[in-house]
Amino acid sequence: MAKMNMSANAEKMFPENNISVDEIRSGIEKALSLSEKLGASEAEIVFSIGESTSIQFKKDIIETAKKSTGAGYGIRAVVNGAVGFAGTNLMSDLENTLRTAVDSAKVMEADPLFKSFPEKDSYKEVAGLFDDKIVEMSLDECIECATDMISGVKSVENMIPTSGGFSRSVSYFMIANTNGLFAQRKGTAVSGFADVTTESGEVSTAYDYGVSRKKELDFSAIGKNAAELAKKSLKGTTIGAEKMPVIFHPFSFADILENTLAPSVDADNIQKERSGLVGRLGDEIANDELSITDDGTLAGGISSGSFDDEGTPTQKTSVIENGILKSYLYDSYTAGKDNVKSTGNGYRYSYSSAPGVDLSNFIIHFPQSDVIAETKRGIYINTVIGAHTANEISGDFSVEGRNAFLIENGEISKPIKSVMISGNIFDMLQKIDGAGKDVRSVGGIVTPSIRISEMSVIGE
Amino acid sequence: MTQIQYYDANQIEGRSMTIVLDNGKLETISKNSSKGAGIRALCHGSWGYTSIDGETDLETGIKNASELAASMNKSTPKEKVILGEVPKRKVASMPSIKVNPEDISVEDKVELLREIEKYAKAEGIKSTRVSYSESLLTTRFLNSEGEEREYKTVRSGFSVSAVAADGNNYQAGRESRFNISGYEIFEKNDPYELAKNAANTALELLNAKTPKGGALPVILDPELAGVFTHEAVGHASEADLVLQNDSVLSGKLGQKIASSQITVIDDPTIHEYGYYPFDAEGVASEKTILIKDGVLNSYMHSRETAGVFEGVSGNSRAQGYAMPVVRMSNTYIDKGDASFEEILEDIKDGIYLIGSRGGQVNTGEGVFQFNAEKGYLIKNGEISDLVRDVSLSGQTLDILNQIKMVGKDVKLHAGHCGKSGQTVPVTDGAPHISIAKATVGGA
Repeated sequence: MAKMNMSANAEKMFPENNISVDEIRSGIEKALSLSEKLGASEAEIVFSIGESTSIQFKKDIIETAKKSTGAGYGIRAVVNGAVGFAGTNLMSDLENTLRTAVDSAKVMEADPLFKSFPEKDSYKEVAGLFDDKIVEMSLDECIECATDMISGVKSVENMIPTSGGFSRSVSYFMIANTNGLFAQRKGTAVSGFADVTTESGEVSTAYDYGVSRKKELDFSAIGKNAAELAKKSLKGTTIGAEKMPVIFHPFSFADILENTLAPSVDADNIQKERSGLVGRLGDEIANDELSITDDGTLAGGISSGSFDDEGTPTQKTSVIENGILKSYLYDSYTAGKDNVKSTGNGYRYSYSSAPGVDLSNFIIHFPQSDVIAETKRGIYINTVIGAHTANEISGDFSVEGRNAFLIENGEISKPIKSVMISGNIFDMLQKIDGAGKDVRSVGGIVTPSIRISEMSVIGE
Repeated sequence: MTQIQYYDANQIEGRSMTIVLDNGKLETISKNSSKGAGIRALCHGSWGYTSIDGETDLETGIKNASELAASMNKSTPKEKVILGEVPKRKVASMPSIKVNPEDISVEDKVELLREIEKYAKAEGIKSTRVSYSESLLTTRFLNSEGEEREYKTVRSGFSVSAVAADGNNYQAGRESRFNISGYEIFEKNDPYELAKNAANTALELLNAKTPKGGALPVILDPELAGVFTHEAVGHASEADLVLQNDSVLSGKLGQKIASSQITVIDDPTIHEYGYYPFDAEGVASEKTILIKDGVLNSYMHSRETAGVFEGVSGNSRAQGYAMPVVRMSNTYIDKGDASFEEILEDIKDGIYLIGSRGGQVNTGEGVFQFNAEKGYLIKNGEISDLVRDVSLSGQTLDILNQIKMVGKDVKLHAGHCGKSGQTVPVTDGAPHISIAKATVGGA
């Protein structure tokens, strides 16, 4: 019954595209049955359509309104375990694209490690991923959200946006394979981003953003928070080279995790021995109060859904439990290779790319307290630049801290102009000794501020 | 409806292919075909933009974009946008493609990648990855001023990486070459030699030390100096960032901002990865001197920013049919007259940083951070110990002024630049340069 409602909705979600879910489904089924005749042992077809509206501002002027729709097919075909991929956004080209995928698979060598695409399964609905109010938003309402961010910025003296924007998106995804799996899901999101600077005098910048599956997002607060942070960062002091406690705001901690720990728990990297966590299952790799779960079923989660992009039901996977490494994250191929079940972490950038392992909602648990007040001397880092330059195998990184502050006697005392922080993620996990009460969802990473007992910090 | 003073459309049809060979296994053969259009309309001071995937009806697209622009203008009226005049230029010679990559069979491509991988699989190398990609695009442009263009571009390239391991110590080496080129990319570059280099880098780094951080005299190799040029200088010279107060070079036109040995150029007419014959506003491309002998000479412009600054447009680019923004093409520090040996001798004691693992910049404050692939300590004017996990950070203007010597060995390196959520092909480069003092991060 729920499925019927969904498909009826999909047509209403994209009124201008005249899509018919039934027609698309029957086209896909026809193509899937053709795949066998072409020589494929298995095939999988995804169809996705998305529509978005975004409003962009530069300085305090709303400049552009954008409306985009994107839709297309992605096809995987299997011949002797080898998987060929082809994608297209030409709706009339489905069968040709299937032939291309089969032809590619035929060129590849047999892969005995390929088990099969996911079987038919049942799915539990995840709450809070779809909001009719986002579907119905008018252009004027979108503009209002952007205007709210701008006025939030300007409510702080001498602050002005450099750029930013609002966006809303509505998406629908369908997947079917020759094992009889058929699934569909839909989602909505709104997001806001504001980059700010000082209007005159000393330059100080900061940013803030927010994203939500529901239309409830305080856009004015996004602007105001960024502006207040930039203001607090004025008249920065310099520090020397020191070893001291560092507290990472959720933005900076998530940025570092995404570029170090995330690739390390990806089963594909483990199997290829490109991870510092190869063979470490069951080992204590972190402070025993730290636990991390990957949870695709999180209600309202940015990366939630009842199934992943291969049709595997999502689940809650304990990655680190009380400091012990419990599990890697798997898609169906890597799971087949290790003879385990997929953890429901097979994701795609878009219909035009084959799936691979990725995080869903990656949730950091550590006992929370008033962590700044408990720090005698240390630094607080809001954001970092350069996290993507980390060595994702060794876990080493060296980043520039932005909107950084000195903590003295349990209080944020003064801003620091420039600071470089070097460290290693595996070393950091052992040294986590505190967490704030300020949990935020940064993309799919959900974390509070995190304190590391000691890190190498270099000022100017 | 309020009058639409301008509209344009980019309709793009393309085919692309990627092959990935991972640790001896042919992991991916992925092919994509796509078609779509991006359409903009300007109403007084408001832009409306629509993009459509698949078969497109331009007339409806123009109507939708126009309605968006008009309704924006109604709800948030603002100052009129005056578009810069289109400069009268002739398109310089288009790159000639010698071997159409689609004429080579997939089997042949795979075989070549396997051959390349053998050279990366040196003793001590734990895993390897070789990838190849090609894209063939046809771009059709039209605007309300009656301009129409159609052109094709072919790009191809490959990358090879190797990981060496010793216990928990993992080190990687990577080489890549991409160009506005057909399959002859493998003739212009020796893929076997590059594969060997990637393996060697990974192996050497296993035993490299991590240096002590601090403020040191530094030599940058052409690749890392190129990254600095692109990230720190290039982005700050994009007029849209300047206009939104997000550039440290704002208000500095005509001022001396760098050592007088420094000239920085952006040149989309060079037949390198960042090449384009016309920009996304149909303007024939042309070279721009950003910094001339240390003086900030020009920003890079779209027609809108050119209208504000009385500049010259030609740097408006888009990924596919996304909304065009001001972007770089092939950006480099022009050659000086020092030889590498002279630079080395002059520096005496310091560090020589080589290659790049990426970086990031805050263009507004002019602060940057780049990670080098590796480095060598310099003692007494001579190259000594190899070091790893080294990064360079500092303030753009400070570094530009502290440049001591500029080499004569300009090299361009191809890569992909992300801005406003869009990725476009670029190259960046420089000769070897030395900096009197810069912050080097280590352990």
